[in-house]
Amino acid sequence: MRWRGTTVAAVVGAAVLSLAAGCGLGSGSKTELVVYNAQHEDLVATMLKGFAKDTGIDVTLRNGSDFELANQIVQEGSASPADVFLTENSPAMTLVSDKGLFAPLDEDTMAHVPAAYVSSKKDWIGFAGRSTVLAYNTQSVPKAQLPASIMDLADPRWKGQVGIAPSGADFQAIVSAVVAVEGQSKAQEWLKGLESNAKIYRNNVAILSAVNAGEIRTGIIYHYYWYQDQAESGANSKNVQLEFFGHQDPGAFLSTSGAGVLKSSKHAEDAQKLVNYLTGKQGQQALVDSKALEYPLGNGVAANPKLKPLSELDPPKVDIGSLNGPQVVSMMQQAGLL
Amino acid sequence: MVAVTAAPADAAAPVGRRRGPRPPALLVLAGLAVAALTLLPLAFVAYEAVQTGWAEASRLIFRQRTADLLWNTVRLTAGAVALSLALGVAAAWLVERSDLPGRRLWTVLLVAPLAVPSFVNAFGWISIAPGLDGYAGAVTITTLSYFPLVFLPAAAALRGLDPGLEESAYSLGLGRWAGFVRVVLPQLRPALLGGALLVSLHLLSEFGALALLRYPTFTTAIYDQFQSSFNSSAATMLAGVLVLLCLALLLADLGLRGRSRYARIGGGAPRPVARAPLGPARWPVLAGLAALVVLALGVPIGSIVRWLLAGSSTGVDTHRLLQAAGTSLSLGAVAALVTVVLAIPAAWLAVRHRGRVSALLEGSTYISSALPGIVVALALVTISIRAATPLYQTAPLLIAGYAILFIPRAVVTARAALAQAPPVLDSVARSLGEGTIGTLRRVTLPLIAPGLGAGAALVFLAVVTELTATLLLSPLGTRTLATEFWNQSSSLAYGAAAPYAALLVALSAPATYLLTRQARRGTA
Amino acid sequence: MTALTLSGVTKAFGSTQVLRGVDLHVPARTLTAVLGPSGCGKTTLLRLVAGFDDPDSGTIALGGETVAGAGRPRPPRHRRVGYVPQEGALFPHLSVAANVGFGLPRKQRSAERVAELLGLVGLSPALAGRHPHELSGGQQQRVALARALAPRPSIVLLDEPFSSLDAALRESTRRAVADALVAAETTAVLVTHDQAEALSLADQVAVMRNGRLVQLAAPETVYGSPTDAGVAGFVGEAVLLPASVCDGHATCELGSLAVRGAVAGSISGPARILLRPEQLVLSAAGSGGVEARVRDVSYYGHDASVRLELIPGGTEVLARVAGHDRPRPGSLVCLSVVGEALAYPGDAAPAEVILTPTPG
Repeated sequence: MRWRGTTVAAVVGAAVLSLAAGCGLGSGSKTELVVYNAQHEDLVATMLKGFAKDTGIDVTLRNGSDFELANQIVQEGSASPADVFLTENSPAMTLVSDKGLFAPLDEDTMAHVPAAYVSSKKDWIGFAGRSTVLAYNTQSVPKAQLPASIMDLADPRWKGQVGIAPSGADFQAIVSAVVAVEGQSKAQEWLKGLESNAKIYRNNVAILSAVNAGEIRTGIIYHYYWYQDQAESGANSKNVQLEFFGHQDPGAFLSTSGAGVLKSSKHAEDAQKLVNYLTGKQGQQALVDSKALEYPLGNGVAANPKLKPLSELDPPKVDIGSLNGPQVVSMMQQAGLL
Repeated sequence: MVAVTAAPADAAAPVGRRRGPRPPALLVLAGLAVAALTLLPLAFVAYEAVQTGWAEASRLIFRQRTADLLWNTVRLTAGAVALSLALGVAAAWLVERSDLPGRRLWTVLLVAPLAVPSFVNAFGWISIAPGLDGYAGAVTITTLSYFPLVFLPAAAALRGLDPGLEESAYSLGLGRWAGFVRVVLPQLRPALLGGALLVSLHLLSEFGALALLRYPTFTTAIYDQFQSSFNSSAATMLAGVLVLLCLALLLADLGLRGRSRYARIGGGAPRPVARAPLGPARWPVLAGLAALVVLALGVPIGSIVRWLLAGSSTGVDTHRLLQAAGTSLSLGAVAALVTVVLAIPAAWLAVRHRGRVSALLEGSTYISSALPGIVVALALVTISIRAATPLYQTAPLLIAGYAILFIPRAVVTARAALAQAPPVLDSVARSLGEGTIGTLRRVTLPLIAPGLGAGAALVFLAVVTELTATLLLSPLGTRTLATEFWNQSSSLAYGAAAPYAALLVALSAPATYLLTRQARRGTA
Repeated sequence: MTALTLSGVTKAFGSTQVLRGVDLHVPARTLTAVLGPSGCGKTTLLRLVAGFDDPDSGTIALGGETVAGAGRPRPPRHRRVGYVPQEGALFPHLSVAANVGFGLPRKQRSAERVAELLGLVGLSPALAGRHPHELSGGQQQRVALARALAPRPSIVLLDEPFSSLDAALRESTRRAVADALVAAETTAVLVTHDQAEALSLADQVAVMRNGRLVQLAAPETVYGSPTDAGVAGFVGEAVLLPASVCDGHATCELGSLAVRGAVAGSISGPARILLRPEQLVLSAAGSGGVEARVRDVSYYGHDASVRLELIPGGTEVLARVAGHDRPRPGSLVCLSVVGEALAYPGDAAPAEVILTPTPG
């Protein structure tokens, strides 16, 4: 009876203390930013490590995919807990921007990257780039037979030879670039041709692996998957080489990973600081030094020497703010890819 | 012997069964609320179909893609069901009616594939033989996952058959094979129909395995639509077609089953069955069964072990693994509790107050038991976005999804549990001085607790291994064993996926063990 | 003092009228059997007395106090009524001791009290630790009775307690139950469809038919002077013949018979007379009396039932004889009647033989 009372008191006391400790330390002294992140988690975590150290601002990442997060932000509207939105490709940024949910960016943030990588509404900015490439199996496709343009892949000659991942935001971004460069009707034709030619995979990793195994001869992916695999063990890429289309072909599309500050953010200043950091020298260098092997977009920051230099890519000029996700989905449905 | 019975009739079966007292209003309301919840996905799909309008709906439905998906789905179901029936019946006959050596062991081994979730099975295969995609792979792997669903009822039915029927057939000159086809097989019809229905419904809901095997069906297409454009009518229209398929299956089952009544002749054959000697055929038969078990069980488990040992891509992140396990277990526990509580009104009405309300409830749970997880999840996501935004992307919504999916299982066990506590016991308790609460506490609850516990265990295990609805409904950042496994295996990080797969199989094993115990009890 | 009184009790379920105004008085410390065919409402009656349901009209009084029919009915737990259902309904999750002690306050649930109650119903105290599924049907019924008797109820209600037992157990269990009820000095109401049970166990028999009480009297009265032909046929085998009554004698095919009965004096003219088969005596052919041919004989060991066809006319009658005295089928015998017949007013109703299933 006596000891029971003491034990109860001790337990209650400990609970109260720990609760106080948890609450007291957490609130007040440190700001916490919530970032809805659709980019690869480890890349963003690496890039922001320095930010947390320098500013003392805690960053919580909520990870998902481009459209999953974009649609959630739209749903949440002004009640969204998100302070910053990071995407892998730009159509998702356009979706949110079109609803007027982004806040204008700081001037000096926008000076970090070439103007082409800032949205026309000046409400979001690119912080990493990835080039569309055609991965091909070196043993079954001689270089001479490679297509000159990505549009050629709709040709019946390539029946059963192309791997794509239509359900992913990556491929949908590439399609949006095709629409922007070639126009809607040509893009629709291209999609129709692809539908009969292509083998469907769940994502770029699966495509790379399949090309490597000889299951398919070619696949449309982003460059860094190959480079990452090469850097690791090469298990999924030793029979694969990349073809960069260049010549401002839609197949050379450089997709931009975007960053934007939500208008509804309660920590607007700190959020702007985060985007500033991401696009500034430190963040961009962290990107280059990481294992991600994507392209930095910051002025004066050179990409990882392993990669084909950005200046050699010659991507088509597209207004990154105009790439329309929902239109692409509707076109792909029409073509029977979705 | 003159035995004219006049006035004093047999009083054991009272003529003109009277209706009991009316069910309490609160119970009826609760029951109706549960029925409404389970019918929500169906109502949603119907509503959407109407809202979209005929023109738009036909544009979305009547296109080549849908036809392709329909063809894929139908031929997969047909193939897998046919194979499962063949394998299931053959295995059941071998175990129950032949002198196969090691019958008890075979029973366990032939039920064990149920412990390996189908998407883990697909993972096991595809990680060692990536070329196994397409129709052939899909049929083979799904059959290996689901043939126990035919084996179990077929074996139980064979056990309950009166061998006298077969013996009469043989004495009338039928050979063994003819006897089997003309006498035994027709009696197995209800069991086989039930098993075929289960396999078909599982196939229609199958997502994970078919996505890994790159075999597009309605579920994978709905998921892709959802990922891309969320809240779209396209996904809902596809879901509508899928729902129609499921309902068609239910109707077919009712129709095929309804006409025939095969009463169990006694509870179990009164005399032991004379088993057919296999003779020299024993060795090829044993080899065949062994091959089946290796394919169905050995490959996925061996594959998991192999990847666990290799662990090539990134070492195991134990923190993440434990976090995912903790989330799975706590979701499972909460969902089990909620679902069993929701099942009680339906079961109570069905057992104690049979009438129109209880019939409605039974019907609604029967229908909702056929709906695929993806349809339920899609319905809940869309409804919460449009009408109940605070619920969107929250744990309660996920729990609601689990409840809708698994209430049928809970209701079945709750009904069996309530049958253990007949109302006469309540009357006796009241006559002995107990009030309503006292009766519940001292009599009803102790008697139904074990049954309810079994139901909760079933739901718990189903939730822990659930993939499809969890992918759509779980709040951002929620990681369960199934979703983490899915993420890892999608990026071909097989070594990282293996620990999750191993845990999933380990957690499914207890329920499967219970099933095998039940099955083994009959095997002599 | 009556322990139980029902006055004008009616009950309907939906459109079915089950009880149509039942009046019943049960004296204290007696056993009343409510006898009737299935569907006559006897189980409903029991449930109303126990309080599991409420009458539509009429009153129920226990020990002088009205518990139903006037204002709010008293709930079962306050009526102190013991209830033994048809299947015994022991709590499967409790031991015999826990079952028996269920209705007792915690303090009184002692091993001694349990042993005492088990002894009352003729069971060994060693059974206290067993569970219901380990007992035979008869043992379960006795435990159910012990459980009902434990809280010393003012009345015990038994709903066909022996019908689920097989014949061998039935008689011994009946005796044990009757003895226990006497020893406990409790009032009891036993509902049954078995007339042998009712006649042998009860102090008074209430015959129910179609929701009404048709006769309430001692067993001998119910058997010997049933109020109508229906009751007569229900409580035993009966031979009913058309007859013409005049001055206390009935003229029928079996000759001129003395007639008694409540209405014997006032009946004149056509009537139906009732004879019990044991009143018909067989003797050798030609020894006087009515001639008859034996149709068939049903031999039960201790006695036999003989179906006879009267020679002129072909009317069928039934006689009961001792087992060793039975005639051969097809032989000719002479019939005479012992004792008086009962007369009921009736027009030209045909002759009828009412048989009952062989009592168990």
